[in-house]
Amino acid sequence: MPASNPNSTPPVTLPLVTLNDLLWLLYLYPLRLLASVLPRWSLYAIGKLSDPIVQFDARRSKARAAKWIAQACRTTPADARRIASRSLTNTVIRTLDGLLLLRRSSDKMLRCRDLDGIQHLESAIAHGKGVVLLAGHFCANRIALRYLATKGYAVLSVHNRRPRNQAQGRLGKLFLQPLSAQLQERANPDQVSIHDPDCSLRIMRRLRAGGLVALQIDGRRATVVGHPFLGVPWRLRPGIFEIVRLSDCAVVPILCLGRSSGFRIRFDPMLEIDGASSRETFISANLPRFFAVVEKQIIEYPEEWRLWNHL
Amino acid sequence: MESLVKDAGSGSRDTMGRIRRVFIESLHVNLREEDFSYETKLDEAAGMDSVAVLEFVAAIEKEFGITFEPEMLTIKVVRDLKELAAYVDQRTARRSHASASPSGHGPAEVDPA
Repeated sequence: MPASNPNSTPPVTLPLVTLNDLLWLLYLYPLRLLASVLPRWSLYAIGKLSDPIVQFDARRSKARAAKWIAQACRTTPADARRIASRSLTNTVIRTLDGLLLLRRSSDKMLRCRDLDGIQHLESAIAHGKGVVLLAGHFCANRIALRYLATKGYAVLSVHNRRPRNQAQGRLGKLFLQPLSAQLQERANPDQVSIHDPDCSLRIMRRLRAGGLVALQIDGRRATVVGHPFLGVPWRLRPGIFEIVRLSDCAVVPILCLGRSSGFRIRFDPMLEIDGASSRETFISANLPRFFAVVEKQIIEYPEEWRLWNHL
Repeated sequence: MESLVKDAGSGSRDTMGRIRRVFIESLHVNLREEDFSYETKLDEAAGMDSVAVLEFVAAIEKEFGITFEPEMLTIKVVRDLKELAAYVDQRTARRSHASASPSGHGPAEVDPA
């Protein structure tokens, strides 16, 4: 019999079903079917009704988020709690917008109120080596990218199809999460998963063809590169930097705010990239600049960022 | 399965040898060239993640002075040593032919960048 390792982490036993799973079950079956016929306002009304349950279910993560928000945004505890709640509400709206994107007529339902800085995107495209749209995890990203595709700017987006969900039980992990990933892919087929072995090659393929790729730099996943982000230690995959270094593409920050019934997209001027021959020097030269851009966006619109509750 | 590389059986032994060396050097894998045969799938020889595949491609481009066409940036081409070598040979030949063309209008390597 093998000796047990006292340093190893004990396996976490998940409950069979959690409240979070039940909410997802409702979302993925009855609500998804209803969403194909219901008008948008009634879908949002259902979201409003479910909001107190969502807020209750996330009360612990919200309390942690509020402390972080108060520190990162230099705001009062009361305002920080409000931002944490609004961020959750916006995440619910985003999830409902995800159902609208499954409709055949969804492109007609996307109401873009403002498209700022398109000249920055155009000049980056003219650079000829593809463009990375540098983004944070904002609630309106998906609808904005779908909208841009309808305007002739097809954007390959990169997703984690197995996101960590601490409120998930075994039912959620086994059945609901894979179905949710499938639906997400149907809503936006122009995407690649970070778990695909050819993820980076697909990104490079798009860039070399002069195309656009959206990369969310604030995903907190691996342990490879550590750097403070919004005042807390952050771990990220270095892949983004390697792709930018090897492709020599342009990098344009993008900010997407709002919901499908009214959203805005803003492109900022191309970032200056410090070229470096090695991966390590490239990361240390450019990471602070990339992070600073997204941090500024988050502090400017904290309610629209959806990772506060994932700390 | 039909090869993605048109009219190319497999690459030359010399190219395959160079690719194996680039593979070991660029990914810093603890393998010797003899440890994997020409039939070995490269990603199986050493667990390559997606970014490592990209680094490997970049190292090949540097080694042979070529640029992969966008449509050839697939895991299927990159993992198969024979197919990869055939493609590298094809690109290298095209580049040599273009530089030897007196008019300068030969079938030059298209740099998609």
